[in-house]
Amino acid sequence: MESNPGTTETRSNLTASDGGQVTAFESLQFTDEIHRLILAPTTINASSFTALVELPPPQAVELLHSPDSTKFIAAKPPNVEDFKGSFRFPSNTSLIEPDARFSVFSGEANNGNENRDSPVSKILNSNLEKAVKSEPAETESAQPLVSDPPVEKRRIKRKGRENKVKGSTKKSKTAVNESSEDAEKLPYVHVRARRGQATDSHSLAERARREKINARMKFLQELVPGCNKISGTALVLDEIINHVQSLQRQVEFLSMRLAAVNPRIDFNLDSVFTSESGSLMDSNFPGLVMPVMWPEVQGDGHRQQYQHQWNSDALQQPVWGREVHNNYITPEKSLLTYDSSANSVTLQANQLKMEL
Amino acid sequence: MYNPDHTKPGSLKSRFTTRFLRALSKIHAHKPISSSSPTEMFQRYQRIKAAADKSMAYSVRSRRTWSRAMLWKLRTRSCGRRSVKTSTIIKSQQAIMKKTRHEKQNENTTTTATTGEDGVGFCVEEDELREIVPGGEAMDLCNLLDETAHYIKCLTTQVQVMKKIADFYSL
Repeated sequence: MESNPGTTETRSNLTASDGGQVTAFESLQFTDEIHRLILAPTTINASSFTALVELPPPQAVELLHSPDSTKFIAAKPPNVEDFKGSFRFPSNTSLIEPDARFSVFSGEANNGNENRDSPVSKILNSNLEKAVKSEPAETESAQPLVSDPPVEKRRIKRKGRENKVKGSTKKSKTAVNESSEDAEKLPYVHVRARRGQATDSHSLAERARREKINARMKFLQELVPGCNKISGTALVLDEIINHVQSLQRQVEFLSMRLAAVNPRIDFNLDSVFTSESGSLMDSNFPGLVMPVMWPEVQGDGHRQQYQHQWNSDALQQPVWGREVHNNYITPEKSLLTYDSSANSVTLQANQLKMEL
Repeated sequence: MYNPDHTKPGSLKSRFTTRFLRALSKIHAHKPISSSSPTEMFQRYQRIKAAADKSMAYSVRSRRTWSRAMLWKLRTRSCGRRSVKTSTIIKSQQAIMKKTRHEKQNENTTTTATTGEDGVGFCVEEDELREIVPGGEAMDLCNLLDETAHYIKCLTTQVQVMKKIADFYSL
């Protein structure tokens, strides 16, 4: 190629220069390269992208170096053959890719060298944003000659750039850094990051974990009475802890009460309890507890009253009450009034068993 | 007003009630109450409390970490030898040891965690929660909250049933 010797010379010049002196070079080389860009496509059979790639790779790098980050310094002189094939230097690829769009606007850029930086940055930024938005549509059309892995890598770079461009100050630089490093080693993760949030896997996992925890806290808030009004997870947790402790204490108090009660029951219940249906248990229990109550009843005159009470109690105590079975219980109650406790239990148990 | 206990015979409440009544009857049959000396009463209270916890844990089976931890603890307390050893129970071994140590402290302490850290790691409250929920120290925060929710549900069922039984007895 004709322009190659010239470019190699300029390349070596530029690589020898410091970053600080680049601006002078840039202004000089820029217009030259633009002209070359406009003229060159005829000589090279590749598309504008590879033409751009061939001619001013170091200059493009350094050009874009100033308006953008200071990180992407072209340390090594890239060879033209390298650029033709795969892109080994992600920093360069990221800079070159927007450059492809930049070539379209070369005419505009020519107008002012002094104002070069701002239109370049503006154009680049607008390019980036447009590129990002229309990304899925433009995958092949924009860079037809570029192989896939570089395109994919550039997507990640674009994401990093997007974070930067959109002005996320949180982790923009680190996100870009990490994404640029990851691109070399890992297959790309095509994740659309939310505005102002990083895209690396660690923060994603953390975010998912946090959301899980928040969902569970909400559920607990509904479970514990009085937690809905409290805001702040620490206070809600306090309430939950209080609630659990109070429940445990209640269990202890109730078991103390049960220990203190004097049940005069000879529970011949094993035969009864071996049957598995809960309904049997439900119907049995009122009958079984009855012997407890009757010995405590003082006078016979109160029997009717207590029967009535027992009926209503049985109805109201949902654990042990069922309308169907109440009909069976009432005739048995009359039996119980005359029987001793032990006998009545066995009698009742047998009766219920026969029914079932 | 009938609660769904009798419409769902296999529900947690009915399972717990069955077991608990059975255990109660065993306790009463085993030691007929002649005198009401404090020591006897205390013993009976302990047995009843253990029976309540055990029947609740059995109703839940091994589906939950806290129930497994509770069962393991009750077994070691009663038997003194370890009959069942699974990997999950081994995991919660130290948790159970710590729990038995902390249990008495927790009964008397009030929550003083006003200066707990907020954010992703709730230090003080999280530790307290771990101490309270059986088997909680072997879990991360996410699962701990799950277990707490289920534990609260089971505790409320337990309290309801026991309250009704106690009311019946004391009528």
